[in-house]
Amino acid sequence: MPQVKIIAKNFMDMVSSLPAMKLDKLYENAFICEAILRSLQPLAKKYVLQMLYIDTLVAAKLMEEWVLPDWFSKHRVALDRLLQLRIFTETVDRKKEKMYRINSTFQKNLQKLLVHGEVLPREPMPPNTVRLPSLEDLEAYALAQWEFFLLQLISSNQAERSSSISSAMLKVFKRGLLSQRDKEAPKLTESGFQFLLMDTNAQLWYIIREYISNSEERGVDSADLISFLLELSFHVTGEAYNLNTLNDVQRITIKDLADLGLVKLQQGRKESWFIPTKLVTNLSASLTDSSSRKQGFVVVETNFRMYAYSTSKLLCEILQQFASLEYQLPNLIVSAITKDSIYNAFEKGITADQIISFLQQNAHPRVALRIPSVPENVTDQIRLWESDRNRVEITPAHYYDEFPSREVFEAACDCAREWNGLLWEDSKKMRMVVKAEAHMHVREYLRRQK
Amino acid sequence: MVNATKGLFISCDVPMAQFIINMNASLPASQKFIIHILDDTHMFVQPHVAEMIRSGISDFRKQNSYEKPT
Repeated sequence: MPQVKIIAKNFMDMVSSLPAMKLDKLYENAFICEAILRSLQPLAKKYVLQMLYIDTLVAAKLMEEWVLPDWFSKHRVALDRLLQLRIFTETVDRKKEKMYRINSTFQKNLQKLLVHGEVLPREPMPPNTVRLPSLEDLEAYALAQWEFFLLQLISSNQAERSSSISSAMLKVFKRGLLSQRDKEAPKLTESGFQFLLMDTNAQLWYIIREYISNSEERGVDSADLISFLLELSFHVTGEAYNLNTLNDVQRITIKDLADLGLVKLQQGRKESWFIPTKLVTNLSASLTDSSSRKQGFVVVETNFRMYAYSTSKLLCEILQQFASLEYQLPNLIVSAITKDSIYNAFEKGITADQIISFLQQNAHPRVALRIPSVPENVTDQIRLWESDRNRVEITPAHYYDEFPSREVFEAACDCAREWNGLLWEDSKKMRMVVKAEAHMHVREYLRRQK
Repeated sequence: MVNATKGLFISCDVPMAQFIINMNASLPASQKFIIHILDDTHMFVQPHVAEMIRSGISDFRKQNSYEKPT
């Protein structure tokens, strides 16, 4: 079975995987400190606050006394997380006792935050100088922009509105999601399709992650980029911020983000400014926030017909990945789930579970209240079709027989098991089948036995 | 002396195994691909036949599924 390769982790996991040098640099930014504090589990949060005004080392034993023995595992998890993020550093004293201390830059920044509150590096522009869009307009703009971007991913021949997305951004996505052979139109890869079925926040996160990890190639320091993105997420949705307050690198980044609908750029007579949308302010928050979920639109009937009440072209493209289109009306897409259409999807690497969870997540409010929201016979049939495809499992392997003695046979079996390569054995007739990967090891082993 | 043969290990349900055995039997002797039938649900075959078996099964599945008359 194809495995899901895209893991939509969150921002903090990315931060914690940075090298120590970068992390220390990141903590010079007060926003990052705050965002990180917010992202911690309750117990870890408490530890940070407890240590906030302690300048000396604290013995590990002492900290263990802060929790009841029953919750010791949680204590360990919290501490590991803090160490991983380098918020706490571990030292061992002369008596071989473990001691912890809080990262001093981090500590200072949080103390400042506690006393002064958060201060953005730039003030919103006074409302009388700029004409601000309403919040609804802004959200509609963000979603439209995001959808346009996705549509461009699916069918890059959509020349409409001509490619306004900058090459840097497109390059980022082509890497993982599109595969391009010479002189052929770029095609979505397996992970590309899986990407389309994820919810908006997970998609956004995936894109940002790619964007950050590619930043070094574009000559932008990833730590700078992360701190800028986190900073942006603290800006107020719908307020205007002057572009003059940004440095060159940030200005380029803002342009890329505007293509994705994370910010809206506007130009006045003299100055230009950007307005953060909901997409960017959600970035540092927990990304699996269900409150930001869009309203559903898909009704699946027991006769395998699917009605999607949507005007979106993007949705139409997505549905076509696993259903065959029957009619398209201005606000309604009627399609049928057939064996062929589902098999097409499987061939592209989409799994039954992904299709089903997509249908469930986007269920029309009328049917979403029903349990199950997608008829059981349809979900069962999709799963059956998938398992029907996987009825026969073929593995490259080697077949062994004619073992001279039972001891040799048993030993060879154990050896294959150790390499996790034993597929089948028959101890009566002393035969066994070993995976091709483990063959070399078993052969070596048998040779040494002689 | 231990003897090792290279090939493909097939694991499936009983009907599918019978289907593959039947497929093997219908071929002329020079093209037979099953090396060993290990038990009801496992067999060991020549290394190059994976594609052939897969396409044979999918043809069989197509014949076997109901299509709504139009």
